[in-house]
Amino acid sequence: MEHYIRVCDVEKYYGNASNVTKAVDRVSFQVEKGEFMGIMGASGSGKTTLLNLLATIDRVTAGHIYYEETDITELSEDALSEFRRDHLGFVFQEYNLLDTLTLEENIMLALTLQGAKKREIRQSCSRMLKLLKLEDVGDLFPWQVSGGQKQRCACARAMVNRPKLLLADEPTGALDSGSAQTLLDSFADLNHTMDATILMVTHDVFSASYCSRILFLKDGRIFHELIRGGRSRKEFLQKILDVLSLTGGDCPDAD
Amino acid sequence: MLTKLSVRNMKRSARDYLVYIITLTLVSALMYGFHSLLFWKELKNALEAEDLMSTLLGFATVFIVLIVAWLIHYMVGFILEKRSSEFGIYLLLGMKKQMIARLYMRENILLGVFCFLAGLAPGILFQQVLLSVLYTMVQMEYRLHPAPDGKTIFLSGLCYSGCFLLAFFRCGRRFRRMSIHGLMNAGRQGETVRERYEKGKQILLPISVLFLFWFWHRFERLAGNRQVAFFLIGLVATIYLFYMGLSAWIICYVRKRGNAVYRGQNLFLMRQFAFRIRTMQFTMGTLTALFTLALMGGSIALMLVEYENAVLKEKFPFDIQVYSREPEDDFAAERVLIEEETGAQEVYSYTIYTDGESEINTWMLTHLRDWGRIFYNAQGGPDREKIRNFLDVERVYYPFDTYMGFSDYARLRRLLGYGEVYLGEKEYLVQVKPRLEQEVQGIGEDLLLKDETGNRALVCAGICAEPFSQDGHNGADYLIIVPDPVLERMRPYYAELAAGTEGGQSPGLQKKLEKLTDTSTSDCQDPLDGLCSGSDSFMSFAAVCMVRADLIPRAKYMLASLIIPFFYTGLVFVCVAVTVLSVQQLSESVKYRFRYDVLTKLGVNRSQKHRLILKQLAACYLCPAFLAIIISGKMILYLHRRFVWITGVPVPVGSVFAKSIFLFFSVYLIYFVMVYAGFVRNTENSG
Repeated sequence: MEHYIRVCDVEKYYGNASNVTKAVDRVSFQVEKGEFMGIMGASGSGKTTLLNLLATIDRVTAGHIYYEETDITELSEDALSEFRRDHLGFVFQEYNLLDTLTLEENIMLALTLQGAKKREIRQSCSRMLKLLKLEDVGDLFPWQVSGGQKQRCACARAMVNRPKLLLADEPTGALDSGSAQTLLDSFADLNHTMDATILMVTHDVFSASYCSRILFLKDGRIFHELIRGGRSRKEFLQKILDVLSLTGGDCPDAD
Repeated sequence: MLTKLSVRNMKRSARDYLVYIITLTLVSALMYGFHSLLFWKELKNALEAEDLMSTLLGFATVFIVLIVAWLIHYMVGFILEKRSSEFGIYLLLGMKKQMIARLYMRENILLGVFCFLAGLAPGILFQQVLLSVLYTMVQMEYRLHPAPDGKTIFLSGLCYSGCFLLAFFRCGRRFRRMSIHGLMNAGRQGETVRERYEKGKQILLPISVLFLFWFWHRFERLAGNRQVAFFLIGLVATIYLFYMGLSAWIICYVRKRGNAVYRGQNLFLMRQFAFRIRTMQFTMGTLTALFTLALMGGSIALMLVEYENAVLKEKFPFDIQVYSREPEDDFAAERVLIEEETGAQEVYSYTIYTDGESEINTWMLTHLRDWGRIFYNAQGGPDREKIRNFLDVERVYYPFDTYMGFSDYARLRRLLGYGEVYLGEKEYLVQVKPRLEQEVQGIGEDLLLKDETGNRALVCAGICAEPFSQDGHNGADYLIIVPDPVLERMRPYYAELAAGTEGGQSPGLQKKLEKLTDTSTSDCQDPLDGLCSGSDSFMSFAAVCMVRADLIPRAKYMLASLIIPFFYTGLVFVCVAVTVLSVQQLSESVKYRFRYDVLTKLGVNRSQKHRLILKQLAACYLCPAFLAIIISGKMILYLHRRFVWITGVPVPVGSVFAKSIFLFFSVYLIYFVMVYAGFVRNTENSG
């Protein structure tokens, strides 16, 4: 079977000849369509670097990343921009919403940049606002809404053009527990209803328990993989904690 | 330690606010260059011109000090705001507010001193360019002499310090109001867009536009102080409210989801633009006012340049002219001197006659636009009493009408190289200043003049309006040319001498001739010896002796005294205004870095990003410039009409305004390119 996303022997080094840091060291894995995958690891383990490589924000030192047939490591800067625009969605810890646009306009912008038609933009926007329960606050600016609403808006913006992959970097990092749960429920909904493929980097065990598969990174390498399978979320959360305790509880939230 | 910190902070400010530093340096250079003219007596003495330059440069300097003080005051506040978290840390470390205030002032003074000193070298260079231009203008040779002048440095330093003193006035208050919490949080606060009553506010845009239309329509017809005051308040309000209305209008358009919102990056651009002009609306209004004044200053200066080019030759058509109130004067001494000094081939003396009446004078005073209805009585006829008093007291027209014989006239025309004219036995010609040609067209229909027998039989054969030295020499404004036999019934009025030297005259002849005429008229109290100068109110050159080669440079110097302060003021105003705009944009580019990062993540590529930055900056730069062009355009049209009215020189207003805009945009473009490059660099440093 052809995999949806293939990461093949990817390496990323930083620094110069006398001082090289291997942020990502020969990492390989695949992501299937509709999968909700998590990446966990201690600070400095290379998880955000790996996400940035998948997100085309950073370039690999060696190796290849395939989105179906497209090797994004071979694309030019302009082609990468187009690829990002058409196939990827991002959700970051700091929301990354434009403060001069309302929540609805933040969502619209992703579509107008794609050159979508007015009718399509309006329909997609209202669908996403409804799906992420933002209808009542669509006309408000980011500074007027809660962190959870901002993050759901970021999520809606990321998903509105139906990307191949939704990349989330510590999406619950700045949220209170209630908002975090609502956001993760939204991710799960998007995953089920829209068949969205999600790749989430997180420290948080609770957030990770929503994933269907988790890769554990240490010193730039994958050292463990956990698959949820038929387990309940609670059982899966316990499993994650077990793995983290085996590694010495490197993740701060694993205590 | 504090000094070390001040120096380091000053260096950092210099890096962060390069545009501001460049402008301060430029202001220092301009001040040095222009102030040096105040102490440059060589030219003034050589031309024996009035010291108009010092007076007008003094006036210009007052405005410039005020506007530069505003710039410094604005920048001091602006940088203080940007560095608020740093000052919060100083407070946290236990520094007293007074000490922080001193530190900050010291930084600013260091920066000012640095810019002032940096501006001296380019200032000296600029002074040399300015002097070269000035000397070329007055047809004198200038040898480059780039050396610093103590007096100029002192005066420029004084004005420059004045700017800083004014700018620091009440600055300490800001520090007294500081709190650690407020300062530490100020940097962290994101931009909060507050939209309230936008629907109501958007009406301000059509109101502003309507006022501008009204302004275009009514401006020239304003009468009375109340109307003018109302109009000025309205104009200032319009300038400021325009931005509020425009911003509200864009916000409402975006909120209504107009079609343009759905196209490409328009949504981002519109929101950015609306937000930027909303947060800067007061600054934008002030910039518009400054741009308007700068455009007007530039245009007036250019009108004067055009005037100078067109009029000076007209003012002095003869190489040499001498007037004598004694009709029998044979100019023997003058002839000898002129022949000695110039070897002139044609030295010609002639007589201006009068019939002892004021018929033509009355017609002029009741028909020329300059006089309006001043000389009409209640019945709508000429107020002869008033006219007689006016002619007796004022030196505008000679008390009696001035006539010239056709033979003299024809000879003078030949001397000037004009085409031949013909005059029948029962005809007369009217010779007027070119400015008045259109206004005297009706004279022939109104006036039949007396022939040699005293019968009203002379009809007007035409109007001649070639330059003919009519600031008193060949009549004041006009001369009536009659067949020679008609002169028999008239009496000689005064004598004139005209000479053509074909460029062979020696410098200083004017002075020598003046000496001669001074001795001959020493018994008379009046230095002009009864000469009347005509109705020119802008520049009338009345002198008993006129030597073109000596007077044109003097006149050019006088005009340069008007032109230079206008250019100086315009240039500084543009630089100050565009600096404020540029510093605002550049400091915001740090915030924009985040926004453009988000756009990059949404798939906007590098070239699209650059185009977006270009559009965003262009909108912010063009908006105040566009409004200033509209407002100043009307004012310049009005000033132009007045200028043409007063001077009679049909200066091409379109070309003058276009040149002024070109000069303005040249300065603008330099800053724009600097800001664009800096903006792109700042948004790309994000990694």
